[in-house]
Amino acid sequence: MTNNNCLMRLSQRALQALAVIGVVLFMMPQISQAQRGEGPPQPGVGNSDKDKSPYNKHDFNGFWVRNPEAQYNQPPCSECRDTGPSYGYFGDVPPMTPEGEKRFRQNKPTKGYTVGSPEAERNKNIHIAYRRAVQAALSNDPEERCEPLGLIRLVTFSGGNPPMHIVQTDEIIVERFEWFWDNREIWTDGRKLPVVDDYGPRFNGYSVGKWEGDTLVVTTVGLDDRQWVDAFGFPISDKAVLEERYSRPSPNRLRLEMTLTDPVTYTRPWKSTPKVWGKVPKEAMKIGGWAGLVEDRCNPAENSFFRSFEPPAPGQKKEE
Amino acid sequence: MRKQFTLSFLLITGLLLASASGWAHHGQGLSFATDHMWTTWATVEQFHYINPHPAIEFSRVDKNGKVEHWSAECGNNPSRMARDGWTKTRSLALLKPGTKVKLYVGTSLAGGFNGIVNRIENEKGEAIVETGEVRNAVDMEGVPSGYQPTAEDKAKAAKASSIDIYDKDQK
Repeated sequence: MTNNNCLMRLSQRALQALAVIGVVLFMMPQISQAQRGEGPPQPGVGNSDKDKSPYNKHDFNGFWVRNPEAQYNQPPCSECRDTGPSYGYFGDVPPMTPEGEKRFRQNKPTKGYTVGSPEAERNKNIHIAYRRAVQAALSNDPEERCEPLGLIRLVTFSGGNPPMHIVQTDEIIVERFEWFWDNREIWTDGRKLPVVDDYGPRFNGYSVGKWEGDTLVVTTVGLDDRQWVDAFGFPISDKAVLEERYSRPSPNRLRLEMTLTDPVTYTRPWKSTPKVWGKVPKEAMKIGGWAGLVEDRCNPAENSFFRSFEPPAPGQKKEE
Repeated sequence: MRKQFTLSFLLITGLLLASASGWAHHGQGLSFATDHMWTTWATVEQFHYINPHPAIEFSRVDKNGKVEHWSAECGNNPSRMARDGWTKTRSLALLKPGTKVKLYVGTSLAGGFNGIVNRIENEKGEAIVETGEVRNAVDMEGVPSGYQPTAEDKAKAAKASSIDIYDKDQK
């Protein structure tokens, strides 16, 4: 190849690259729009996994994330991402009961579009829950105080950046969540659900699972009513029943559909949008030579130190 | 060559996509004057690699020679920073007390010497930590107190705190 040819080939490559980058830049507003929930991609729609290897549909062991390309160098998974704002339960929010409505208004989230912001104004078509974020100093979000997140919030948030680790045996499946370093258990040993009042509700409830074909159907009761359904301040009562339907449609995808039935709070059962995770080999998660979850625990002492940098709300005096 | 092109494209695309997220972070826009990001050279006093977000204490000198001591949070949490290559070892080594850095700051809407730092650059102009929006940042080197929120900025937060969104807007 002559120098001229080589230069020409390089110019062509550069032009190709510039053209493709131009297309990406042109698409940025649409991508951003999609992330805001105004257009495609749709969470849970389609399956981008190209892996055709044989696998066991009843084996959920491993590390699962909802943003596999971002930090783990895995193939992208457009159907894994919630369309936003942030991660949550989503779906068609049912009308609330008077009790549910009262508790919903008491909850002041920091996630979602900031109240009064141009984004909130532009997205007036979406439920008020997603456009009422306030500054941390005004919020009563349990997460801001390192209080337990609760089951649905752990499951729906996990994988955005912090992964979920599933450990499965013949009689129990344990989901471990990096964010808050929490876990939940799903017993598959054939037991029945407990009499909740004999011990009391738990933040992650009591869960039993059984296989229906290739779908693991998990029923949970006894959820502590201090938790929020997700970051947007949806309340939940301790009479709620959560059904989760997990499946593994391809080697590198885990899919979940949830239905929350809570007549104390909502006037009809509430189905989530589908949640999809991509599988990540543990080697891709190494930090300091250690593969696996990192302890992303919300430590109250550290959190308190961090919060000392956060500004007070208008009219609120900052403690010295 | 094709492989190199593909890799470059994926890298650039990935970086662009990673920067596309505009979701609210802890009501950030109401806590900090992020509409008025500004830059300053500063000296690291302490970098704290803590949950839920790292924090930096720094000093800067104004044009009158007066030293200001600031404290600020940085956006990402340590696990994400570590997976992006900014391990605790590396971050603390590059941000030792006494290190000169250029900071992109959003001042607390309450005013004073608190804020959020969305980008930390070393003296070569390389990003050490980048966690948020820095476009349109204004150079305020030497300006006493950097950018301090105006009454209008503060009114924005106060107004948002008092909006009754439910009666008129509830779906």
